[in-house]
Formats: sequence, C-alpha cells, structure tokens
Amino acid sequence: MIQFQNVSKQYPTGQLALYNINLALTTGEMAFLTGHSGAGKSTLLKLIAMLERPNQGEIIVNGQSINRIKQRQIPNFRRHIGMIFQNHHLLMDRSVFENIALPLRISGLHHRDIRRRVQASLDKVSLLNKQKANPMMLSAGEQQRVGIARAVVNKPTIILADEPTGNLDPELAEDIMRTFQQFNELGATVLIASHDHSLIERMKKRIIVLQKIIH
Amino acid sequence: MTTNSRPTNQKDRNKPAFISWWNHVNTAMSFSLRRLWFNPISTWITLAAIAIALSLPTGLHLFLKNLQTLTDDQRQIPTVSLFLHEGVTEQQAQDRADLISELDGVTKVIVQNSEVAFAHMSELMGGKETLESLGKQNIFPHVLVVTPDLSLSDERHIPIQELIKTLKSYPEVKSAQSDIEWVVKLRAIIMIATRIVWVFGSLLGLTVLLVVGNTIRLDIENRKEEIDVTRFIGGTRAYIRRPFIFGGLWYGLFGGIISLVVVHTSLLFLIPPVDKLAKLYSSHFTLSGLDFTTTFYILIISCSLGVLGAWVAVSRHLRKQEVIL
Repeated sequence: MIQFQNVSKQYPTGQLALYNINLALTTGEMAFLTGHSGAGKSTLLKLIAMLERPNQGEIIVNGQSINRIKQRQIPNFRRHIGMIFQNHHLLMDRSVFENIALPLRISGLHHRDIRRRVQASLDKVSLLNKQKANPMMLSAGEQQRVGIARAVVNKPTIILADEPTGNLDPELAEDIMRTFQQFNELGATVLIASHDHSLIERMKKRIIVLQKIIH
Repeated sequence: MTTNSRPTNQKDRNKPAFISWWNHVNTAMSFSLRRLWFNPISTWITLAAIAIALSLPTGLHLFLKNLQTLTDDQRQIPTVSLFLHEGVTEQQAQDRADLISELDGVTKVIVQNSEVAFAHMSELMGGKETLESLGKQNIFPHVLVVTPDLSLSDERHIPIQELIKTLKSYPEVKSAQSDIEWVVKLRAIIMIATRIVWVFGSLLGLTVLLVVGNTIRLDIENRKEEIDVTRFIGGTRAYIRRPFIFGGLWYGLFGGIISLVVVHTSLLFLIPPVDKLAKLYSSHFTLSGLDFTTTFYILIISCSLGVLGAWVAVSRHLRKQEVIL
C-alpha cells in the first residue's frame, strides 16, 4: 500500500530531512510514526501526500510509483488521501458543515449527496449537533475532530495524521486516537506521526521510529 | 452553500463529468456572488471605480454620436441653396433640379417654389397684406436646395468646393449659398474627438483591468490559507481559479451596468436644456441614448476586462508555489 525505497529528502535550504528510508505499510494497517522533533516525521507524511517530492528513491502508494505522477494528476491523487494536521487548518470564515463539505465540492458532488455524506462524517466524530457552528466557537478537541471529519468525508484509502493530538489533554488525545482506530477498522490505512509515547504504546499498534540524522 | 434543489434527469445521470463540472460552476458562481454581497464596502468601492472608468468613455462616445447626428444627411442641414434668376420659370427650375440630382456627389435636390416662399414669408410677417402694402409683389426667386453627399467630403475638402463651383456656373443660377463649410469643419473636429475617445477608452479600460486585477489579488492574499487547504485536499487549479474568475466577471458586469445607469442619468439631466437650445434653432434635434447593440458591447467589454483582470491575478498566484502548509 505504502512503500518507501531508499528515499532521501533534502530541502533547498540544505537541511537533510530524511536519509535512505525503507518502509512498507500493508493495506489496512495502522501504524505510528515517532522520533525526536526534527527527525523528519512531517516530511515523511508530506512525501506520501505529494506535498513534497523526494530527491532520491522511490515511493509507491496504492501500487503506483508517485515519482511518475504528473503535476496535473496530483489533485486527483490527493483525493484518495485524508490528511490531518496538528494545526487543523480549518477555514474560520465558514461553518463546520462547509469545512467538511469542501473535499466533496472539489469532487463535484451534488449538494444532496454532500449533505448526506457530511452528516455521516460528522456523526462518526460525534459532532452532528455542531454542523452550523463556526469552527472558532469549538474547543480544541472539537476542532481537531472537524479536521478528521473533513479528512475522511471523501472516504480516503489512506489517512495521514501529523501530531493530531499535539494540543490536546490526555483524555481527548486518547479519544482522537480511538476515532482513528475506528476508521482503520473500516478499512483505511492509517499512519499517525506522534511523539506521545505513552499514548501510542497503549494503542498496541506498530511503531516506526525515525532516528535523527547525525551530521 | 447552495440550497436550491435542481432535479437531475436520467440523461444527465449518464454524464457524471458534466454534472460535476456544472456543480463546480454552480458553487463558484454562488460563492463568488456571496463574497461580494458580504463585503459591501470593498465591493461598492471597486464597482464605483469601474463604473466611473467606464462611464467616461461611454459618455464621450454618446456625446460624439449625438454630435454626428447633427450632421446627418436626413437632417438636411448641410445644404447648398441656389438662388435662380428672376426670369427662370418653375419648369426650367425643375429641369435644372433633375439634371443636378444626377451629378456625382449630390444626394437630393428640392425645388423651393417662389410662391410658396412668398406665402411662408407673408405668414411670418403677419399676413399677405403687410407685404403687399409695401408695394411689393413676389420678390422671391425659385430656389434649389441641393444636399451634397458628404461622405465624399470627409477626407477631401476639394470636391465639395468644386461641386459648388459647378453649380454656380449654370446660367439659371444667380448666386449660391452654402452652409457646408461649418459642417465639414465640425466633421473634422468630430474625427479628432473620436480618436480622443479611443485613447481615453483604452486608458480607462486598462484602469478597469488594473482595478479588478488588484481587487482579486487582495482577495487572493486574504484567502491564501483557503487556497492552500483546497490544494492539499485535491482541488485542481481550475477549481481554485473559478470563483476568482467569476468574481472578476461580476465586477465587470455590475460595474458596466452601473456605468450605463450613470450615463443615462446624466443624459436625462441634459435633455431639457438641449431641447430648449434646439427649439431656438427651430430644429427637431434631441439627445438620443445608447442603442441596444452599443449597450450590449459595453457590457461585453466590461465583463471581458473583469475576467481578464481576475485571470491575470489568479494565474500569477497559482504559478508561484504549490502548497506552503
């Protein structure tokens, strides 16, 4: 499902973020990505979502080498990936409903289908009663769950999360992780970058550790 | 976003690409309209700038067009009056008129009968008796009113002078009087003014382009995060571009409509004094507004300028960078 072969990434600033990474995630697997800050967790996720391109090596996603994906095919490729950030990147000038509807609007769905699917997605993160609210009025945990609902509304086969519980207290963090687990049980491949060791150890899933590059 | 429901028929179900395109367009249209609606101050300032920039050349064009109708042939203003000798009979005058009307550069010849002219004069003087009491019988000669074809004289002044010379040389003609001179001069002035309208029009068109471009650019700056988010969840460039292009279209369209309203309001304001002046010259001249075709063209031009301005602004942004998250 996701495969890294000798992948290296160096930013134009000269910073070497990833060096010679080999990694394989099977379809429907759930795994945690951990390591010190600056070890390249975010970069690794960005490479999968094609937010960055590797300098070296090959990345295979859904059986397709992403090095061969052309610029104009990227939007379509990204629609199969749901991505969640620590700073959830919600749009504060519109309602929760509209935020979650965004990927569906991009897919060109009719508003009847959009309504149905947004509500289903909100139901999964237990926020059905907040659909008309502005994201600004929600708590941090609720905002993060809106971010998750937006990532999964298009039924992606891969869910990537970058420090999704970074700002949350332990109880809420565990709650969020359980939500991811539910999506994994529904068939999605889930990769979560986190440095909350105690939490991810409790989840009893595979843990991938990135070592910091020593210059 | 959109709350109106549009039933999809069976035929359309077979065309998902078209459906999704149509849903995109629908969303972009209503979204861009709502953005204008909910930012009333910036919207109105932009629309006012566009409307003013458009109404100046439109107003000048209208002014020129009206000035041109003053010199139109059907208004019979540019004419040469040929006063015939006293002994010339009505029949001879008619024959000469027929010959002249066949000349090159002559549109029309009217014979003004001396009797008719006398009657008209008498009426103006307050009755036939007044003139007769002065001991005069009909003192008016027959007059031929020649309307030359001015299209020949637009660029070259000479043919008209030659025509007058020819007309003067006929034995029946005692003298000739022409009011063509000022019409020719007016036409020359109008020609210069037309060029000026073009220059103004181009410059102000460029202004509209810049105003829309800059407004859309600011809009893009304000919505950078939205654009980035849209990109990382799979929005294509076309999808991101669309609402901005529609924004430009609305600016152009509404700015154009407002400019038309401004021009027509000013026109209404001018009609009474112009009519009064025309009356003083016993002319039926009245100011006319923009016809349908011109209105249509103005709206097409303003919409195109809006779309073009938006396109340049948004393409510049999209070229710059992928996602910055």
